[in-house]
Amino acid sequence: MAVSTGSVIVPDWHKSPEGKEYLATILRKNKRKFFGLIERPVLPPQMAADTASYKIFVSGKSGVGKTAMVAKLAGLEVPSAHHETTGIQTTTVYWPAKLRDSGRALIFRFHFWDCGEAALKKFDHILPACKEKADGILFLFSFTDRSSFDDLPSQISRVTEGSENFVKIVIGSKFDQFMHTDVTERDLAEFRRAWRLPVLRMKSVNGPRLADGRTLDGRAGLAHVAHVLNGLAEHLWYQDQVMAGIVPAPQPGTEETSLC
Amino acid sequence: MGEEGGSVTLLCLTASSGVPLFCRSLGAPSKHQLPFPVIGSLNGVHMFGANLDVLLTAACTTNTHVVWRVFHNSITLIVLSSEEGASDFALGRLLDNAFSAMVLILGLEELVNIRNIERLKKDLRACYKLIDSFLAPLERSGDLTQCVECVPVPHGAALQECLEAFAGAAESRFGCLVAGGRLALATEPWWQLAPQELLLLSWLVGSLPPHAARDYPIYLPHGSPTVPHRLLTCQLLPGLEACLICGPSPALHTVETELVPRFWKPLLEPLQACVSPQPHSLPHGTTLPPGVLAFLLIHREQRSSQSSVQPPGSGGEGLSPRCRARALRHFYALVAARYFPWEGSPAPPQEPFQAGFPHRARHCYVVSATHKAYAIHAPQHQLFLLLAPHVPTFALRPLAARTLQRLTGDTAL
Ligand SMILES: Nc1nc2c(ncn2[C@@H]2O[C@H](COP(=O)(O)OP(=O)(O)OP(=O)(O)O)[C@@H](O)[C@H]2O)c(=O)[nH]1
Ligand SMILES: [Mg+2]
Repeated sequence: MAVSTGSVIVPDWHKSPEGKEYLATILRKNKRKFFGLIERPVLPPQMAADTASYKIFVSGKSGVGKTAMVAKLAGLEVPSAHHETTGIQTTTVYWPAKLRDSGRALIFRFHFWDCGEAALKKFDHILPACKEKADGILFLFSFTDRSSFDDLPSQISRVTEGSENFVKIVIGSKFDQFMHTDVTERDLAEFRRAWRLPVLRMKSVNGPRLADGRTLDGRAGLAHVAHVLNGLAEHLWYQDQVMAGIVPAPQPGTEETSLC
Repeated sequence: MGEEGGSVTLLCLTASSGVPLFCRSLGAPSKHQLPFPVIGSLNGVHMFGANLDVLLTAACTTNTHVVWRVFHNSITLIVLSSEEGASDFALGRLLDNAFSAMVLILGLEELVNIRNIERLKKDLRACYKLIDSFLAPLERSGDLTQCVECVPVPHGAALQECLEAFAGAAESRFGCLVAGGRLALATEPWWQLAPQELLLLSWLVGSLPPHAARDYPIYLPHGSPTVPHRLLTCQLLPGLEACLICGPSPALHTVETELVPRFWKPLLEPLQACVSPQPHSLPHGTTLPPGVLAFLLIHREQRSSQSSVQPPGSGGEGLSPRCRARALRHFYALVAARYFPWEGSPAPPQEPFQAGFPHRARHCYVVSATHKAYAIHAPQHQLFLLLAPHVPTFALRPLAARTLQRLTGDTAL
């Protein structure tokens, strides 16, 4: 991993007056706006921004929190009970962010591909479909399940087998349950050193609701996940720049410094 | 239903050993369990009968209606309803739909040859959302009529043409547009699916949590109960999905990133009109005679339906939409079970009413304190109407005929 947090994307931009204006394109009266496949956020002309689209495959063993994470990032209701995901389901999440170097605002369009681990084993078209033309893969482990952490190396090699050009990011889910954690900071530091992969932390729990008591507060929900969305944006954008030859490829052996 | 304190509970057990597989109830999740001894007795009494070669199908207490059904000697479903007006007809449909929903999602094989009960229990959770929608059909009626609910589509011809081209490009003959869980458009082969499949597919799409796209394995309960197909759904707009049934190709990625933009993006405006405010009521510009509170129109040959519990102009008269929906459902169940023969349905136990007459009923009405109801059985359609109590009874028939005519242009009564 050659990107340290905040080196590519301005971290707290969404809290600035300018960032808030951009955020307004994905919110409506504090509710998250949802977009169909043939729609996109509409920006006023003076705020024109390019869109950077990425396909991201979410992998991890059953119950680790893939579906919950995607729902949380999308501003949807996080299911409270575990129902194995049937087949593949995809979700688009738009996220405005600002590039540090150029000062340019971009709209990131993350297209998450989530499939149930059981479905993946039962039907063989699913894994290839999720990997086809993917830009990034998220490897989930759960802070409350040591075995899911220990399994990361074999999961990574199993999933990436035969193709190496993915941006790989590890996500520790159920971080809100850190009281019951089976995975320590030391473990994580060691893992990072050995694998040179970024590790993000995720709390997929429903946030506050609006005055009606039912609708999720979209603005608060986004604030909870901004660090993850920025993290994804950073690594995916950086990889694009490397591929395009705009920035040099990371040197083998560069020491990892970031704390994600 | 909920607001009146009535409840519906569905129990699923293995037929051979009576192991509970799941229990769903209308209302709070805490209600999703019945005490084990109650489950045991309900199953026991049915098994007891079976051992004596007696088939127990239904029972009534003062406030609860119970219906049993065993599917393929493997799965027992039991429904208990304390709803006012619960009937064998409606509960029978519920059991049938619930089992077909299980086949749709899991395939018949897993339900008939149960190898691992714990695995089956886990897999069955994927059916909960769809099954729950049958327990609380709210303002819908397709579950009862087995006629898929349709929404009128402005600019239908252009969208239909696009749908055909879209399905063709995806190498599929089966394509449709689903708006809010109701069928907006479909290719001709899609219409050839079994009526119950048409219904289950649109209810399934309507019951799943929203996603940009899905690649969802399904088994067609009548056409392909053991070989899975791929149901691809693409959310064009929130509440509007383009669906395809496919074999191994094309990849979801291709459909979503190439075909959807190519075919549907140019039609953004007509598509928006499909999901705009008054979605599931009348074709644009149609009005109904005053006094009509709710209607259900069935297109007999196509096995499709159209309905509304708040047609324009029916405003705040009397019953709430929820009550109208319930009254209309009860009226339909009564008429369909007793007075109108309904071709091709898994015949519900007929009361001997028909037998005593040389002719068949074509019209039928009910008068109650809160509403009147009128049904017409015409060559191409069936119409069920709920009317305000102030409409004079002698005016029901011409009024119903006029409504049918406005909805369909059908004058042949
Ligand atoms: N407290 C807490 N619970 C979580 C979190 N993420 C997931 N869960 C819970 O863990 C359970 C399983 O999560 P899912 O997201 O459905 O699991 P999955 O990885 O999609 O599993 P499969 O679809 O079977 O592969 C659910 O009950 C979630 O509510 C989290 O960050 N915090
Ligand atoms: Mg899942």
